[in-house]
Amino acid sequence: MTEISTIEPWTDSSQKAYIEIKNVTKKFGDFTAIDNLSLKIYKNEFFSLLGPSGCGKTTLLRMLAGFEKPTEGTILLDGEDISQVPPHLRPINMMFQSYALFPHMSVEKNIAFGLKQDKLPSKEIKDRVEEMLELVQLTEFAKRKPNQLSGGQRQRVALGRSLAKRPKLLLLDEPLGALDKRLREQTQFELMNIQEKLGVTFVIVTHDQEEAMTVSSRIGLMDTGYLTQVATPTEIYEAPVNRDVADFIGDVNFLEGTYKGKNEIGTQLDSVDAKCVVYATQATAADIGRKLWFAIRPEKLEISKKKPDFEHNIIKGKIEDISYTGSMSTFHVKLANGKVLTACRANRERSAEHQLTWEDEVYLHWPPNSAIVLQS
Amino acid sequence: MRKIKGFRNIGRTAVIGIPYLWLLVLFLLPFLIVLKISFAEPIISIPPYSDLLQWGDSFWPTIKASLDGYLFILEDSLYVNAYLSSLKIATISTLIALVVGYAIAYSIAKAPTRWRGILLMLVILPFWTSFLIRVYAWIGILKTEGLLNLLLISLGVIDKPLTIMNTDLAVYIGIVYSYLPFMILPLYANLEKMDFNLLEAAADLGCRPFKTFWTVTIPLSLPGILAGCFLVFIPAVGEFVIPDLLGGTQTLMIGKVLWIEFFNNRDWPLASAVAIILLAILVVPIMYYQKTQEKAIS
Repeated sequence: MTEISTIEPWTDSSQKAYIEIKNVTKKFGDFTAIDNLSLKIYKNEFFSLLGPSGCGKTTLLRMLAGFEKPTEGTILLDGEDISQVPPHLRPINMMFQSYALFPHMSVEKNIAFGLKQDKLPSKEIKDRVEEMLELVQLTEFAKRKPNQLSGGQRQRVALGRSLAKRPKLLLLDEPLGALDKRLREQTQFELMNIQEKLGVTFVIVTHDQEEAMTVSSRIGLMDTGYLTQVATPTEIYEAPVNRDVADFIGDVNFLEGTYKGKNEIGTQLDSVDAKCVVYATQATAADIGRKLWFAIRPEKLEISKKKPDFEHNIIKGKIEDISYTGSMSTFHVKLANGKVLTACRANRERSAEHQLTWEDEVYLHWPPNSAIVLQS
Repeated sequence: MRKIKGFRNIGRTAVIGIPYLWLLVLFLLPFLIVLKISFAEPIISIPPYSDLLQWGDSFWPTIKASLDGYLFILEDSLYVNAYLSSLKIATISTLIALVVGYAIAYSIAKAPTRWRGILLMLVILPFWTSFLIRVYAWIGILKTEGLLNLLLISLGVIDKPLTIMNTDLAVYIGIVYSYLPFMILPLYANLEKMDFNLLEAAADLGCRPFKTFWTVTIPLSLPGILAGCFLVFIPAVGEFVIPDLLGGTQTLMIGKVLWIEFFNNRDWPLASAVAIILLAILVVPIMYYQKTQEKAIS
């Protein structure tokens, strides 16, 4: 996690938002792409808009860039209403998903393009282009045309070009989508370093939850035109607001049941899946008898052949499937009622002794503070 | 194996050979005949030119070539003026067609996908009517008591009918109208492939829409512009029907001169020489066009 996230300006109500999206609605004909959305993004944030395709995240980004105008609502940048400002007059730059490099211009001309529009003196343009080429490590490729570069190099040209004007805000539309996995991971860290070095506010659109978790100070999770949750990666993973969020970020098990009140351990759930009462530390405000869910992440479920020495939160099942991925093993455990839970554990030892195998009768256990109580 | 290979080679030669044969029989051979006639002398006979080869007593025939036709063309300013006037009319028509065609091609390329097919169809539709009939139709529109004048007078724009028919303006209208599809199609093919994200990228980097057009759109559509201009310019230089039907007596175009030499004066050698010089003038842009096309493909 970056340093910025530890400062957490969003927890301080006296902090002024750098970008404020106020009740913005965007309609294309009858179709509502963004529905009365409000969001505050703070200076120096690395903010991710995360969601499945068609959720409106790109539309929101394009409204920040100025390519789309909100049907209703306003967008403020540094206190100034920019909703109706055309894109070429906004101090905002965007890195396009397709990179959109000018094919008839060399790398340096691409990077200089924005600076030339500002009519900067040629000496300054030259210096700034050199600085950018160095930043994205493309100095020796300055004279090449985009079609003479690899995908990763093009991506860096696009980044250099969008940063050359020192924008107040940099928008990145699926910036790493076209790169292979290894390069993508490497570039994520490069992006974070550059962001910290230049202190530019980044808003990134992605459908890759791992990417969002890695780079962001905060994530705005979107679903068909509205935000479901805006929080830090940790909060979104450990305290999702509903089952959809929990399911979208990482893997999760849901235990269904009815609320049975609380005791000294915490929330009691009469679970139909576990066929017993299970507990979670997290308090909840619900009527007795209301339907609730416990969400438990697979890595928080302990799996063993021997019955663990605990009184609560133990479920018996049978191993149905195992997937071994080297560092981890994932077990699919079938409960008596047919529901399948997923548990995973790190393979700390090389030896294959006391290993679990198919059809083994196992016990699943979790400490009460590992379960999340969800009302919807 | 070897047999199959040999057979395959024959097949390959045949496939490549057919277009070569086509060009040989229908282009090179007629060209050589015209070339031959251009060096002959006009005589009153059928056909109306002297033989290039004179069979005398010796075994070898003697060649009796004459450069009179060529010399006459260079001496008489009528021909030089006709060439220059043709080039001028073709150049101006090409530029007008480029401006109009670019606007049309651009708007088709930007139109919603479901409209594009219909719009392209509308561009190609006039080809279903004979070229000659379409040019005749323009007479009906442009003449003194034609549709255009009737419309303008009934709208109160003008009092007296405009004289467009039998002027250079009518020739320009005719050429631009007739060759516009040849401008639109290559331009559309080029613009349709263009990534419109580039225009957004330019706007994003602070470029005004008008400047973006000159710095991004135009340079990227240059291959289409060149292709379209050559496809209009080359046939327009030698155009005969349009200046003959729409132009006036003062409209001087080499195609018309050629026609007069051939059919009115029956001076085949001179007419052939006119044609050969016209070809020589056009070979330069044709070769340049070929080269740019090759470059575009590679």
